[in-house]
Amino acid sequence: MKKSTILNAITYLFLSITSFIWVLPIVWLIMQSLRGEPGAFTSYVIPKIWTFDNYIKLFTETKLFNFPRWFLNTLFVAVFTCIISTIIVLLTSYAFSRLRFKMRKPLMNVILVLGMFPGFMSMVAIYHILKAFGLTQSLISLILVYSGGAAMGYYIAKGFFDTIPRSIDEAAIIDGATKNQVFWKITLPMSKPIIVYTILTSFIAPWVDFIFVSVIMKDNYQNYTVALGLYQMITRENITAYFTQFCAGAVVIAIPITILFIIMQKYYVTGVTAGGAKG
Amino acid sequence: MEDKKFSLKIKEYLTLFKNSIKSFFEGFIKGDIITKISYFVMGFGSIARKQYIKGFLFLLIQIFYIVYMMKNGLYYLSMLPTLGVNTQGEVWDEAAQIFRISKGDNSMLLLLFGVSVILLSVVVFVLYIIQTKIAVENQKRIEENKTISKFKDDIRDLFDKNFHATILFFPIVLTILFTVIPLIFMILMAFTNFDKNHQPPGNLFTWVGVNNFKNVFGKNPLWSSTFLRLLVWTIIWAIFATFLNYILGILMAIIIEKKGIKFKKFWRTAFVLTIAVPQFVSLMLMSKLLHDQGTLNILLQQFKIIDKFIPFLSDPFIAKVTVIVVNIWVGIPYTILITSGILMNIPEDLYEASKLDGANSFQQFIYITLPYMLHVTTPYLITQFVGNINNFNVIFLLSGGGPLSLNLYQAGETDLLVTWLYKLTVNEQNYALASTIGIIIFVIVSTFSLIVYNKSSAVQSEDEFS
Amino acid sequence: MKKIVSLLLATMMLLSLVACSQTATTPSENPSTSDTVTLRVWGSQDDQEMLQVMIDEFIAANPDTGWLITLGVVSEADAKTKYLEDPEAAADIFAFANDQITDLVKAGGLYKITRNADDIKSRNSEGSIEGSSVDGQLYGYPMTADNGYFLYYDSSVYSKEDVKSLDTMLEVANAAGKKVFMDVSNGWYIASFFLGNGGTFSVDADGNQVVDFNNEKGLQAAEAIKAFTADPAFLTGDDSIFTAGIGDTIAAGVSGTWNAKAIEETLGENYAATKLPEYTTTDGLVQMGSFVGYKVLGVNALTEFPEQAMDLADFLTNEENQKIRFEERQLLPSNKNAASESAVSKNVAIAALQEQNPYGTSQKDVLGTYWGPAEAFGTTMEAKDYSKDLQTLLDDMVAQIQAPASN
Repeated sequence: MKKSTILNAITYLFLSITSFIWVLPIVWLIMQSLRGEPGAFTSYVIPKIWTFDNYIKLFTETKLFNFPRWFLNTLFVAVFTCIISTIIVLLTSYAFSRLRFKMRKPLMNVILVLGMFPGFMSMVAIYHILKAFGLTQSLISLILVYSGGAAMGYYIAKGFFDTIPRSIDEAAIIDGATKNQVFWKITLPMSKPIIVYTILTSFIAPWVDFIFVSVIMKDNYQNYTVALGLYQMITRENITAYFTQFCAGAVVIAIPITILFIIMQKYYVTGVTAGGAKG
Repeated sequence: MEDKKFSLKIKEYLTLFKNSIKSFFEGFIKGDIITKISYFVMGFGSIARKQYIKGFLFLLIQIFYIVYMMKNGLYYLSMLPTLGVNTQGEVWDEAAQIFRISKGDNSMLLLLFGVSVILLSVVVFVLYIIQTKIAVENQKRIEENKTISKFKDDIRDLFDKNFHATILFFPIVLTILFTVIPLIFMILMAFTNFDKNHQPPGNLFTWVGVNNFKNVFGKNPLWSSTFLRLLVWTIIWAIFATFLNYILGILMAIIIEKKGIKFKKFWRTAFVLTIAVPQFVSLMLMSKLLHDQGTLNILLQQFKIIDKFIPFLSDPFIAKVTVIVVNIWVGIPYTILITSGILMNIPEDLYEASKLDGANSFQQFIYITLPYMLHVTTPYLITQFVGNINNFNVIFLLSGGGPLSLNLYQAGETDLLVTWLYKLTVNEQNYALASTIGIIIFVIVSTFSLIVYNKSSAVQSEDEFS
Repeated sequence: MKKIVSLLLATMMLLSLVACSQTATTPSENPSTSDTVTLRVWGSQDDQEMLQVMIDEFIAANPDTGWLITLGVVSEADAKTKYLEDPEAAADIFAFANDQITDLVKAGGLYKITRNADDIKSRNSEGSIEGSSVDGQLYGYPMTADNGYFLYYDSSVYSKEDVKSLDTMLEVANAAGKKVFMDVSNGWYIASFFLGNGGTFSVDADGNQVVDFNNEKGLQAAEAIKAFTADPAFLTGDDSIFTAGIGDTIAAGVSGTWNAKAIEETLGENYAATKLPEYTTTDGLVQMGSFVGYKVLGVNALTEFPEQAMDLADFLTNEENQKIRFEERQLLPSNKNAASESAVSKNVAIAALQEQNPYGTSQKDVLGTYWGPAEAFGTTMEAKDYSKDLQTLLDDMVAQIQAPASN
């Protein structure tokens, strides 16, 4: 009993230290965002003036940097990207994991390999394809781009589906369920952790990408996303004046993602095999 | 099954191919008039046999295709061999006092749309073959007095027997549009001379065969030595970045998920926070923190731990260590996210049994946890490895590839092949060369991962749990 | 067998893709079917409001034509990249930094400026005209002459005499325990040593960069760089290090007008700026050179309305509007009359830039291959890595800069 108490104490200490290290840069970011003195950099660590001005300016001074608008754009894109790519990833990996059909293996290999070409090489081509559809400079095109590659991330979820005992599916099929029903009613509810992972990663993409947006949006300032918008704040001409606002913007971006994760956490708790047919 | 010889497989495909050609012609020869017509009019074999919806869809596609080809498709195809013939020109306009510019061809767009047209033709051709098969099949069923499937039946099958077709449809269409076409386009570009002297809209570029590959392999010694050195570093980086993150991440997840540890949600959230901050922000902050005059050095100097700054990002060796360590900071939260779900799936009895055998935690980790995780997450590891080989963000935003060195051609000590490639496109606009290197990386990476993936236990025994 | 329906749908999508592409790519054969002149102008986001006012004035001054002029945000620095990504979608008139002009002209992206050319040439400074021309042909409308660097200093540490010589500056700084800042591991700044000692940039007939930094004069410059970076008072870093340290640990530093406001605020009455100092070589003192960059308006080669676009660009860069640019954005005009206004020389930073400009070299002949090797050389110097002698390093650097395109 005593041994485990000591062990737990060590574990807590270890967790505290590591999570401190992990959070430290974020704390620094938050401090910078609350810094009252201007400039991109200070030769001391703790700000001398604390203020919320940077946040207030971010949402009120929208003439140069229309942060509120970009924030809503990004939220819109992120929500739809998240829904579409989660569906795509889950469907693709379910098909490869559970269904058996001709061309399954070759198709799996082809899709696996396709994901390995460095993305930025194809940006200009993607731009022109979207242009052919008349979709450039729109938020829809961003959603398409972010979820278009989702299928190529199938194998992580597939690995997870593979661990769910097939006997459960088979039992359901004997009971007269179609494969469609098996997917929605049996497999999905058992795959919460991987769904959380997929939702989270696909939700994040639009908040952090600034390369694709800039190729697709070009001069359409109104349809920028926050990442590209923030990137404009740290150009040579702007960084001194806007760095602290830039940090504030980064903190604001982190909020929806953190909230989403905290909501998703409760689906994270129970394992799969625990309640499965194996036991 | 594992040792099925490659040549055997090829042979298998060849016979398959031969047979389908045979059956294609046989179907025509043995076909009745309806079947024969359907070899020329798509969907006729269905329409004439009362599968109206399906049949008309086929017909519509044929009409669309023909109209499109007449209008533009043939033009794009005819332009593929040359990639454009009309150069931008100019004429003096005395009244306006300007050289009025007349538009020329845009080689890049001609190439892109040429590729699209070919892909479209392939798809239409496949459809064409399928509909001839349907016509033959229908004829056979009628002769044998069996019923022909109705549209309703086809739809029902799509949610059960052919469920895979339904659910793979959108993923595949999106992949074709946003990955396959660009990929073929990029591959073809490696065989052109699309460089700074051949930029649209003013210039045309054209095919140059394998010229670019010749240049990469051996023309310039500095060039190939840079390529080799960066390749070695890229692989070292990918190995460290992948496996350190993996092992440490799993350990972290195990600790958090350990029985008796409270505030699990809190710990997880603490780590996930780092994911929530966009990488370009956190990495930029990191590079400021780690700068020679950066915050970390200031702090360390204030506390008298060091008296001269540590060149975290400006010394060739230390910089390499730094980017790997920072990448641990970036990557572990993802590993925790992905593995904690899977950890919970490890059957509890395995641990209990091993405990009875007297195994300690370390042994449990080595003999139970790790093999199980490897089994399930090999695909994840491969993605990570490949992702790290192509890890543009971390290197570009953190060190920018620096410190730069004159021993490398237009590259720095921490540059990966991808960031080098990016620099080459930005500095020299040499897209042809960039595509060439891109293809070389792509071939190396994809061969490697195909082999590992298909040999991995996750694939070999994917039905084990059935 | 029956993924037919899906395949059918897929084909429809592909078909519509290629079908649509048609409408998107066919150039409108007949530009002047309607009476409205549609133009799009790219400028940096800070300029948007100012540009809108100028455009409104232009429309008011030309009431005979129906104008539809829109603005788009693309900064001068990104113009070339954004233009080449899709020239058809680019603005009819766009502002760009003149170091992009060679690439833009080579790509056939710019109209030759022949309309009203003599007037443009006479009203703008020689340097700006040269910087907007390729092979003697004018390709753009000079707008500002602001993209350069000079020396900021803390007048409580340095006197006006001190900042004339780099040696003195370092001596004083060492005595005061302060630093002299310059980002030597940056091709843009390090060039000042070479350019000051007669180094040149050019582009050969094949479009490759030619530099002579590895000759005797170049070696002298390199020696000076080596001595400077080895000095205890030397400090490198990016702009943020400089703006944070000036007035505190940093006594003087090399930077440009974009930092003027921040530095003025920090230094207060000790705020001062001047041309770059002289450095010592075996042949005596040498005035440091610099890059001078101009911002230029170009007319897209694919525009439907070249004459009107030129008229608008001409208007946007005339004396009046250059004055407005100076008043609102503190950008040094390229227009001779606007630049000689007394208000211009009263601005400390701009006056220093003007002072430095005569020793400046236009950036337009600098190609993309220059930056990496130059930075690598600077990095080697900053790291005090003397494992190779200077001549070898210079030869390596020049070889990389001059490496030909492989096709």
